[in-house]
Amino acid sequence: MSSDVLLEIKNLNKKFPIKGGFFGREVAAVSAVNNVSFQIKKGETLGLVGESGCGKTTLGRSILRLIEPTSGQVIFDGTDVTKLNAGDMRAMRRRMQIIFQDPYASLNPRMTIGNILAEPMDIHDLFTNKVDRSKRLKQLLNQVGLSSRDTLNKYPHEFSGGQRQRICIARALAVEPDFIVCDEPVSALDVSVQAQVINLLMDLQKELKLTYLFIAHDLKVVEYISTEVAVMYLGTVVEKASAQELYGDCKHPYTKALFSAIPVPKPGHKKGRIILEGDIPSPMNPPSGCHFHPRCWKATEICTRIYPEATPQTPTHDFKCYHPIQKGE
Amino acid sequence: MKEKILQVKNLQVQFNTDRGPVIAVKGVDFEVYKGKTIGIVGESGSGKSVSALSIMRLIPDPPGKIIAGEIEYRGKNLLKISLGEMRKIRGNKIAMIFQEPMTSLNPVFTVGNQVREVLELHQPNLSKKEKEEKTIDMLRLVGIPSPERRVNEYPHQLSGGMRQRVMIAMALACEPDILIADEPTTALDVTIQAQILELMKKLQNELGMGIIFITHDLGVVAEMCHEVSVMYCGRVVEQADVNTIFSRPLHPYTKGLIESIPSFDSTTGRTKERLKTIEGMVPSMFALPPGCSFQDRCAYATDHCRGPRKNPPLEELEPGHFVACFNPLI
Repeated sequence: MSSDVLLEIKNLNKKFPIKGGFFGREVAAVSAVNNVSFQIKKGETLGLVGESGCGKTTLGRSILRLIEPTSGQVIFDGTDVTKLNAGDMRAMRRRMQIIFQDPYASLNPRMTIGNILAEPMDIHDLFTNKVDRSKRLKQLLNQVGLSSRDTLNKYPHEFSGGQRQRICIARALAVEPDFIVCDEPVSALDVSVQAQVINLLMDLQKELKLTYLFIAHDLKVVEYISTEVAVMYLGTVVEKASAQELYGDCKHPYTKALFSAIPVPKPGHKKGRIILEGDIPSPMNPPSGCHFHPRCWKATEICTRIYPEATPQTPTHDFKCYHPIQKGE
Repeated sequence: MKEKILQVKNLQVQFNTDRGPVIAVKGVDFEVYKGKTIGIVGESGSGKSVSALSIMRLIPDPPGKIIAGEIEYRGKNLLKISLGEMRKIRGNKIAMIFQEPMTSLNPVFTVGNQVREVLELHQPNLSKKEKEEKTIDMLRLVGIPSPERRVNEYPHQLSGGMRQRVMIAMALACEPDILIADEPTTALDVTIQAQILELMKKLQNELGMGIIFITHDLGVVAEMCHEVSVMYCGRVVEQADVNTIFSRPLHPYTKGLIESIPSFDSTTGRTKERLKTIEGMVPSMFALPPGCSFQDRCAYATDHCRGPRKNPPLEELEPGHFVACFNPLI
């Protein structure tokens, strides 16, 4: 493992039990995350794309052990965090933070912004000196572009969605983390505000050398912010490549269909749109073989039986499909 | 020849709140033509949903009230007719689909029941058997597989995309003249969104209805709409045909909206410059600045815009291209 890899995930699995029957016994399990492995280098961004229910949020939370993974390893800067005890894990979370999707639900309405931002610092005993602490609070607000004087004494309801998301970002930054999981940080925001928050995240990354796992369903946003992109379908990463390779030359039919489904803001834009038949299958009862085969226009008999292995295309690009898209197709 | 079926003139809607009255829609004008789609674009709180609900007369009163304007549907002012008459039009001639397919269906009735209810209300002459057949036909029309079985299922047994199809089937059961679609695909995934948009276009071709398409996604607008109205703070700030809006936006807000989308084109590769943004945020309806509502976020604002004057009026600057701005980008 090269030394500039900050986070490595090896064969991560998360199964949720389904309780049923008379005594609430476990009758089955949903495989929300299925043997996922990837690495993120220091200062880079891995974009994780997929439709609802594909397991991207579960994966993000398993990394921080907000959801306990069933098996597999999460190696953060040389330490396997899945083996840490609760106390060590809490200390480790100083370096790993998360920003949630809904800025309305993730700030406590009864706490002032000052208290919200100071709480993580106090938990990790970062400042013993009150003057330093309040200096740090002001610096945080400046970093996220909220610098009016009385912000610290206000309550969350006094801010708009975009401003609240900035507060959430400031809270994540409070403990000077190395790594942040951004779980759909802009999907609840209006278009014009979305762009502001994306720019802010990218500026902060440059300034503070942050590493991001950026989870989203919006491919445009992901391609914009990411160095590498992983596409998930029903708990499995079906294709992974550098953003450039993926957007220029995707191999998996699902990736291709996702791209073609994005409405392009150019009237009269002609393109070979692929309309996928049917819905995303339930992860409780995934199709046999390749999970994508019932919706895939290239599926053949083998796809219904055996899940394809990862096929490397280039050292930075691999996919799981028997019938990859040819260039120009 | 374009056939005009609906005309909204100077619509104004007010809501009484604990903090005093707020005018959510301040004089909106637009027209709907047969077989054409008009897009209404705007950020949250711009008044686009309120305008749509006014057409259906579904504004809760109190606290809401339509304080001025006309909504003319085939020569009839919908704001003047009795509630009984309105009920005959609503769901029959003018139908609506909502954003949340999860919450707009009744969980305790089967989907067949809910589609049939529309027919029972508006086409009581049909026999029981005919209604049953038509219900199944509608479900088949919107692309629900094995509709004979699905009619007896409950909403929770269907996925989000399927529920939205049921909503469309309900809306189209009486073959309406006008379909109002309020963010119909916002809650859906992109691949499902593509299915639904394709379906709406196909049904429009077959049934020839006029569609009012409300959305905040400019990509969807480019794909679906013929005409576009851009709304900001309760007013239409720009109105033109879809090509003009994208190729030659004249209002700084429209231009900003178009530029703030991360450009995406798989053929030319990626662009890595900073995203352009519209500074600041939508002002509170309680504290609108005097003059143009957009002035604080506008790079082109002058003292003229900030003055104690009124908002700029919507003027036809080029044939068919209406803009409300003191300093349009000509």
